[in-house]
Formats: sequence, C-alpha cells, structure tokens
Amino acid sequence: MKLALFCLLCAGPLSAAPYLVEDIKFPPGVPPEVGAIDFAPDGTLFVVLRRGDVMRATPKKDPGSWTWELFATGFHNGCGIDVISRDQVRVTQMADMTEATDTNGDGTADRYRVFASGWGLSGNYHETNALTEDGKGGYYLAVGTASHNGPTGEYTLGEYSKFGRRGRNFASVKWKGTTLHCDAEGNLTPFCFGFRMHNGIHLDSSGILWCGDNQGDWRATTPLYHLEKGNFYGHPSSLVWDERWPSDKDPLATYREDLDAYNKHRTMPAVQIPHQEMNRSAGEPYEIPAHFPHFPGQMLLPDNNSRRITRIMLEKVNGKFQGACTHFLNEGGLRSGNHRVRFSPDGQQLYVGQTVRGWGREAEGLQRITPTEKAEPFDITSFKITPKGFELTFTRELAGSLTESDLKFKSFTYQSRWTYGSPQENKKDHQVTAVKMTGSKSVEVTLDSLEAGRVYQLDLAKIKSKDGTNIQNVLFYYTANEVPGK
Amino acid sequence: MKSRLLLPLLFLGLSRVVADPLTYDTNPLGEVDRPLILRTYVPDPGLDPAVFAHHGKASKSPKYSPKTGRDTKGEYGMMRVIPAAIAVNHGPALSYVWDTTECRLLYAWQGGFLDLYPYWGIEGSGGRRSFDYGARLVGNLFYLAKPMKTETPKFLGYDLSEMGVPTFRYRLGDQEYAETILPVDGLYSFQRTVNGKATTLKGELLSEHQGFERNLKIKSATAEAGEQVFGAYGCVACHSIDGSQGHGPSLQGLAGSTRPVEGGDPVKADAAYLRESILSPNAKTAKGFPPGYMPPYQLSAQEVDSLVLYIQSLSK
Repeated sequence: MKLALFCLLCAGPLSAAPYLVEDIKFPPGVPPEVGAIDFAPDGTLFVVLRRGDVMRATPKKDPGSWTWELFATGFHNGCGIDVISRDQVRVTQMADMTEATDTNGDGTADRYRVFASGWGLSGNYHETNALTEDGKGGYYLAVGTASHNGPTGEYTLGEYSKFGRRGRNFASVKWKGTTLHCDAEGNLTPFCFGFRMHNGIHLDSSGILWCGDNQGDWRATTPLYHLEKGNFYGHPSSLVWDERWPSDKDPLATYREDLDAYNKHRTMPAVQIPHQEMNRSAGEPYEIPAHFPHFPGQMLLPDNNSRRITRIMLEKVNGKFQGACTHFLNEGGLRSGNHRVRFSPDGQQLYVGQTVRGWGREAEGLQRITPTEKAEPFDITSFKITPKGFELTFTRELAGSLTESDLKFKSFTYQSRWTYGSPQENKKDHQVTAVKMTGSKSVEVTLDSLEAGRVYQLDLAKIKSKDGTNIQNVLFYYTANEVPGK
Repeated sequence: MKSRLLLPLLFLGLSRVVADPLTYDTNPLGEVDRPLILRTYVPDPGLDPAVFAHHGKASKSPKYSPKTGRDTKGEYGMMRVIPAAIAVNHGPALSYVWDTTECRLLYAWQGGFLDLYPYWGIEGSGGRRSFDYGARLVGNLFYLAKPMKTETPKFLGYDLSEMGVPTFRYRLGDQEYAETILPVDGLYSFQRTVNGKATTLKGELLSEHQGFERNLKIKSATAEAGEQVFGAYGCVACHSIDGSQGHGPSLQGLAGSTRPVEGGDPVKADAAYLRESILSPNAKTAKGFPPGYMPPYQLSAQEVDSLVLYIQSLSK
C-alpha cells in the first residue's frame, strides 16, 4: 500500500508506472551472471551464477540489504536450478545435472551427486541447459546447441556426429537441440526435437509444456512452442539424434533444399513474436500465477536481448494453442539479459534473472518487479479469434465505443529457413468491416478477410478508459495458425 | 591474483569456515588446506590420445558461410580442451584436473591454477576469445596420466570434507571407488588415496605455464593485425564479414557506405565513424539494431587503428 501511495504522490494516478522495478544487489565483486533462479519451499531464493557458485538469501523488502550465503560451488555454467529444500538443489550444468546437498547442516553443500547425465558436451561455449519440473518428481530438460562462433574440442563427452556439426547453430554431440524427459530416478529419454536454443522451458499449472527460442537460423522470428512428445520443432541439426532420421542423411542440407518436406515435418510455433517489435531472444516462458494481481493465467516471455518482457494471451482453436502477444513491460527500469522468471511464494512479486555473458553488452543481474497498484493497467487482457475477425476484451471500461479508425489491422506470413531470421512476407492491409461493442469492456472486430497461417498485427489507437487512463499497449500480434469454423 | 578469502563466521552457535564466492578475478585461487573446485573447459596440456579412451573424437569440419547457408573455403579446427573435467586448486601447493568421463586424475601442476581470462573476459564487457577460450594453466606441470585399460567408467559424484577437500566417487565396471588427492610437502609430488590406500606420487617438471598472453604485440597498425584483433575479441559473434545477418551489422561493405542510424540522419562510414563505433559504440545505433547493446572495448591505439584498416579492407 505504501508503494502505491508513493507513486500516487510522485506521479499522479494517470501516469503512474504500473510496476516498480528494483535491483537486487549481490555482494560486492560478485559477477551477477544469473544462470537460473528458484525458491525453496521456505521462501529462500537460490541463484546459480554462471561461473559456478550457488548463492542463497532470504528475500527482504530492501533490495540492497539481502544477506547472501554461498551454498555450493563448482558448477560449469549452470543455467537451470531446482531447489528441493533449503539444503538441497539440483543444477543443470554443461555436462550433467548434479544434486548438491548440505548433509550436516553447516549451511554449505558437502555431497555432490550426478542426478542425470547422458547428453554430450562438445567443448563449445554455447551448450547450456535449462530445466522445468515434470510434476512427477522428474524434469523436462532443454538441451542447448553449439554456436558456429566457437569451436568444438578435440575430444567430446559422448559420441560425435559430423552431420550434426554442420551449419550455424549445431548439434555435434548427443541430444543438443532436443528436449529430454528425465524421470524421478534421473533416466533420460528424448521427448522432442528441433530446437535452436530454447533457453528456458516451463510446465504450466495445467501440465502443458512450453518453450521459446531465439530468432536466427531456421527461426523466422522469436517463437513460443507448445511441446508435445515426438514432434520436430523446426531446427534441423538435432535430427541427427532422432532415431527416426536416416543416419546417412545431412538434415541441414536436406531441408535447405526441400522446404516443402521441411514444412510437412515441423510443428509450427503456437505464437510467432516479431523479434524487433516484441522479443529478440526468448528466455524462459512462465505462467502468471493466480495470486498475481495482473493478467493471471497469461504467459510471460522475457527478452534476453532487450529491456522488455512479452505478455502472451493464449487460446485453443481447433484443438491447438495459438494467441496474441504484446509487452508486459517495456523499459521502465528493466535491464536487458532477461531469461529466468520466478514469482515470490505469495505470488505478489516477480523476479527476473538476467545474463548475456559473452554475447554483447553486459546485462547481468537480478531484478524484482512489483505492481504499484492492485488494479490491472488499462490494456487488452483477452485477444480471441472469431470466424471473421477478433474479439478483444479490455481490463477496464472504455471511455466510448470504438470505431473502425481505432483498429488498424495488417497481416503477414513467416517462412523459417536456413537464413538468420526471415522477413515478414505476403503483407496485407486489412479493412475493418464492422466493429461491435459486445460489452463495456469488449469489442468484436470483423475483417475483410481472415486466413489461417498468417500473423495479424493490430495497431490500436491511443484510446482511453472510462476512468481516463491511457491504454498501456497499442501494438499486438495474433498468430492465426487456425481459424475457427474452417 | 587475489586468493579466495576465508571468512570465519558464527552461525547458530556453530563455528564454520565459508569461502567467498567467485569474483571478476580471472585467476582465482584456493588455499592449501581449503581447495577451490572449478568446472570449466580445462586445457589438454599434451596428454596421450589413448588417455581419452572413453571420449568421442571430433573432426575438422567444413567452414559454414552464414551468408549462403553452405560450406565455404576452409575448415574449422578444434580446441584442445577437456569437456567435463573438474579442476581443483590448493593454492600454489597443488592443482590437478580430475576427469568425470575417464574417472581418473589427468594431470597435476604447482605454482598457480588456471587463467580464466579467455573464457570469462573482463568486468564490464565480458569478451570470450572466439575460437580460443579454453582456460590456460599457470604454474609448472609435473604429472600427466598415462594410457591405462579400464572397465567402463561411471562418475557418481564427490563428497567434500569439512575443509572442502573432494573425494571423488565412481565405478569401473562393477567396482566402486573413492579417490582423494592432497598436496604433500615437497616439489612435484602429491598424495593419492584410493579406497583408503594412500600412495605418494612424484613427478618431474614437464612444462612451465604463465596463463594467457593478453597483449597481441602489434608492431604497427595493419589490416592483418586488425583481423587478429577481430578474432581475439570475439567480434564475429555479432558482426559477420560476409554480409550475413547477425546481432550487429555486417562489416562487409560497411566502410565508405552511407549508414542509416536510429533517430538521426544517415552518416558516412568514414574512418572517424568506424573509430567512434568501436570506442563509443552507443554514440550512434545502426538502424534496426537494439540500442546500447555493444560493449565499449578497451583497446590500445594500435588495435583500434588495425581494426579500422581491417574493416576498410572488407569494402575493397
């Protein structure tokens, strides 16, 4: 309450920033290169730093006065952490997933055990791994690829594939570019294939598995994928580790030459997120919990390469997930490097872990995001497709009825291929043929045409709510893989 | 070369010793009684290839052109690093590398530990060395493992003593082992204890290592030297030289062209612009790229001059 009052006094109710963004400080001299973050059941926050240390602290209100303790050390570029208890963590590092336990209660881990291993490691700097719990005591693991901006070693952990070594982001050793399932005993099995660099993976509260990826080769733009067993998600290199792929065939060359076969094989992103306008490089998707005051149930997708976090509104159409994206937070004190997300145990605050080490200007650290008021900012909270257009629902009552000129729609397509990203193609301007207010907060828009396989861009006028608040976002993209009733 | 400080802390009435976390110091050190454990890409200082019996073997690979999506002239070489080893340091008294793939001690040295500068870079800009980021040894190498026939190794993990000394646990076939390595008094020797049986191993000076040579030693500014600088600082991670897209603008044809920039009039990419873009990369932002993304590099005058010449050579 004090927080909201403070902003009320300093900026006035109409232009108050919806979120307070605070820097959580690490001890002086500690490189805050946050590989991953997670809370213990007792509310202790654990952070694995990329040089190898795991630190823990009890969150305090004052972001500058946390007492950090060194809990464990000696991890190689850990980018996934699951905190079992205040005394036990599991970390996905480059070569394996290791469990570190404090067995004697002195505050530091003394027993390190391999929990799961079996993926390879080539010696390339890029091969980091992330995790999410599977809800049954096991995990899904996102195993990253190598980059052609670095070499492999001479000797590799696990077998080496010369076809897997080809191209820009590559999979020269086992299971790079795949998602693995890890059972509660640590046994690994490939779950699905075709990732470039899914830096973060998330099982939502309904048990649905999601990941993002980085715009680049075989990634027209930044995607959000709904992951299902056995599918191929479009980056060919990892196919060398798919038993169904013929071992004498170079997947990269095959699909470079045959985009039709490629398109038949691959599963499309649920949401395509324009990389310049919205999100250049996806971190870990994360569902907003029910207790967070704003947009509960929607999906966040941090941008690892800009000072912003994307908000995604999903729906199921013809049995498949798709939806719209806009900014959750753009600037507002946020750093770049955003890639890990956790909500505080009470669901009222959002922690974002940041790192880009060795990849452009440093953007390393940990920030905390707190809504400045309970009420949601004035924005679109639901963006749904209809047989002839879209139904939009706002968080607040509108000042007046919307008209055709308030809603400009364009659409375009994307084709992923070997190039580093792909342009927006087959661009089309749309006529809004009807606008119908379906309530004080909702509107139904009819377009001149609506076609499956296109991304629809909405440029919204700078409208006001009934209580005089300006709209927070004016740019939205809806991925229409499916059109209902067709 | 600051060592990890030891901070005695009182905690719930128990006295304990806690090491400090790692810092930006790229030459971290442990203490003789309290080792530092680090997992990273450690160098292969010249081990017999047969020592890597349970590793995969990489090969040279055709260079990939991100511009054409096809192979281009040349081959990618390989780096002499060990992928999944653990490096341990007892201060100047002893450093060793124990490998989790072969499940054995690979080599040992005295007088220093690892120089992580090529991998970790420096505070404020990072700067991994693109094709040469393996950590470098510091000190005198005195022990190298010899080839040895073993049953299939399986690494289980390790336990730390009260002072943080690791005991590695592994299987060779069905037999389980526990192995602890400790410094002893005396040059080029250490103690190795396997399943309770201790032996002292003595080696001899094999090679001397001074870490990573930071200076490129450019005598006079040339485009060739600029190419070296370009490679050393990892510029290629963002800037291609063949016109292909990346995180930053390609350098092909950049020099002399007219550049659209964010929020301003187009500028001519003359030597002054190139210099500014290297030294104050955020003074102007090339159109279509994120602002504030490129770090300012701390380069010598000759390195900057050489880079400018190199970039200009890419427009010829």
